Amino acid sequence: MTEPNPSAPLLSVRDLHVSFQTDDGLIEAVRGVSFDLARGETLGIVGESGSGKSVTNLALMGVIPTPPGRIDQGKANFDGHDLLAMSQSRLMAIRGRRIGMIFQDPMTALNPLMTIGQQLTEVTRRHLGLSPTAADRRAAEMLEMVGISSPGERLGDYPHEFSGGMRQRVMIAMALSCEPDILIADEPTTALDVTIQAQILELLAELQQRRGTSIILVTHDLGVVAGVCDRVLVMYAGRVVEQATVGDLFAAHRHPYTLGLLQSLPRLDRDQSTRLDAIAGQPPDMARIPSGCSFRPRCPVAMERCETDSPPLRELGPGHASACWHDDAAAAKRAAANADSPSEADR
Amino acid sequence: MRHLLGYAIRRFGWMLLTLWIVYTVSFVLMRSVPGNPFSSERTVPPAIERQLRARYNLDAPPIRQYFDYAIGIVTRGDLGWCLRLEDYSVNQVLAEGFPVSASLAIFGLVFAIALGIPAGVISAVRRGSLADLSMMTAAVLGIAVPNFVLASIVILLFVFMLPLFPAAGWGTLAQIVLPAFCLGAPVAAYIARLTRAGMLEVLSREHVRTAYAKGLSNRAVILKHVLPGAMLPVVSYLGPATAGVLTGSLVLEKIFAIPGMGSHFINAALQRDYTLAMGMVLTYTVLLFLMNSIVDISYAVIDPRVKLQ
Repeated sequence: MTEPNPSAPLLSVRDLHVSFQTDDGLIEAVRGVSFDLARGETLGIVGESGSGKSVTNLALMGVIPTPPGRIDQGKANFDGHDLLAMSQSRLMAIRGRRIGMIFQDPMTALNPLMTIGQQLTEVTRRHLGLSPTAADRRAAEMLEMVGISSPGERLGDYPHEFSGGMRQRVMIAMALSCEPDILIADEPTTALDVTIQAQILELLAELQQRRGTSIILVTHDLGVVAGVCDRVLVMYAGRVVEQATVGDLFAAHRHPYTLGLLQSLPRLDRDQSTRLDAIAGQPPDMARIPSGCSFRPRCPVAMERCETDSPPLRELGPGHASACWHDDAAAAKRAAANADSPSEADR
Repeated sequence: MRHLLGYAIRRFGWMLLTLWIVYTVSFVLMRSVPGNPFSSERTVPPAIERQLRARYNLDAPPIRQYFDYAIGIVTRGDLGWCLRLEDYSVNQVLAEGFPVSASLAIFGLVFAIALGIPAGVISAVRRGSLADLSMMTAAVLGIAVPNFVLASIVILLFVFMLPLFPAAGWGTLAQIVLPAFCLGAPVAAYIARLTRAGMLEVLSREHVRTAYAKGLSNRAVILKHVLPGAMLPVVSYLGPATAGVLTGSLVLEKIFAIPGMGSHFINAALQRDYTLAMGMVLTYTVLLFLMNSIVDISYAVIDPRVKLQ
């Protein structure tokens, strides 16, 4: 938040709806997602598979295959322009230049038939108009920055000559080579070994500090969220169910789904022989989303009202919002609990 | 580059071995079918037949013939005299017919590639459109319609109704167009379908999404990131396709009165022209081997993960 105009968000998404026409019928993958992204901020988007977290970002990048996909409504204001209403040619000038993206599986996200040098220089030559030699130099610089040794020689190598972690580094180098304002990282560590995961996250955090890039980090790993994010959106069945700072998410979460996610984390301080508390039931079939609150069938505290009315995302405090009819009751209970143990309330 | 040389040497060794096997099998097969080069409706007097046999070394024991002929081929590159085409050596027949058949085949292939690949790309990019539908229908027709039917149709259309091209003959560019079209049409159809399928497959891969996310234009993504990968199945088809075009030109050579090798191939087998048949078989073996090696090398050039064995 060191930018000159911290009040205006860099990216402001409002009421985004994305649907896919499939054999099972119309699937509403994203149903009214809104969020802001400030400059230099790292926003985590958490949720199970199929919660719409990846689709949200693909929609922002304009890389949803249409058909079968369709952006039904919504606005995504980026630097004064609506990404969703923009012509393809204008969007092309933003993709890769001002918004970079890295994907889940570095094994398949790079073109196997082109050298990584070709793939890296392609971006800078297109967006920055670099000459071939300047682009090569830039590519080597970027590889060095992401921690690849003897980068000049490796430009001529093909993706299969790199390990998974190294390929993800190449992806990061590619996404950052035009110094974008936003980096969208779609589960960047899911396909990697745990030790490599930590290295990649560290690299992202370090690069962000150095350049002040805003990051949208899509993940289903709350550990990753705790490590690098400033703020978090929790998504369920195509909606944001809770939005909070990282501190609030872990200490003062409101939504029963968020609670379920946190409880299903393995913990070192718990008896190792007990089973993890998984959230009961299955994620909803997106072709047949339940009426009312979509989390209701799995919710331990569902009430009658949850069956008929869908709870809106309501502001509970500064930077904290939740979509649950229980908010009042939960808040009251928590207030009582906090009063009992003041040390916890201080945090 | 070094492993390419090693590959070429190994391939050459395999080719020699294959040639030897093909030679042996053809030699045995040709002599084990009933009849001989001199059997015809009019019986040749025994004295003359004896002289003929002596002249062509056919009176020697078969094993002797096998080695004598092989030694002639290896040491002098001499495939012998044609038994049924008087005063022609097999080498002469090949030297005359091969350039003709080969240029017809090359024109046919170039035509097939030039038509098939763009058609496949457009079909894949505009999947489900009218263009896709009509081109894929044309492709099915191209595969299904035999080339002699196609030849009759194009002769009717472009020689009689719309006299643009000569009906037959060889030597001018105009005379090549129609037979090359008929020869290449089914190949073009296959290539179009393979290209389309390959494009659709590559288009669904994640690295294509990366390419779009980099802000590349649609054209750059298609041409640089999708097309090369989509060409792999087409390249592997080109080996057998070349063989098909070379051997399949027989009917068209008859229809368009082209002095190629195709008719010799069939006649040699029917008339038990041992030497000419052997010459044809060996030539086609070498050609096929060369084509398949070229395909393998191009495969490795396109896809760096492929190692030449």
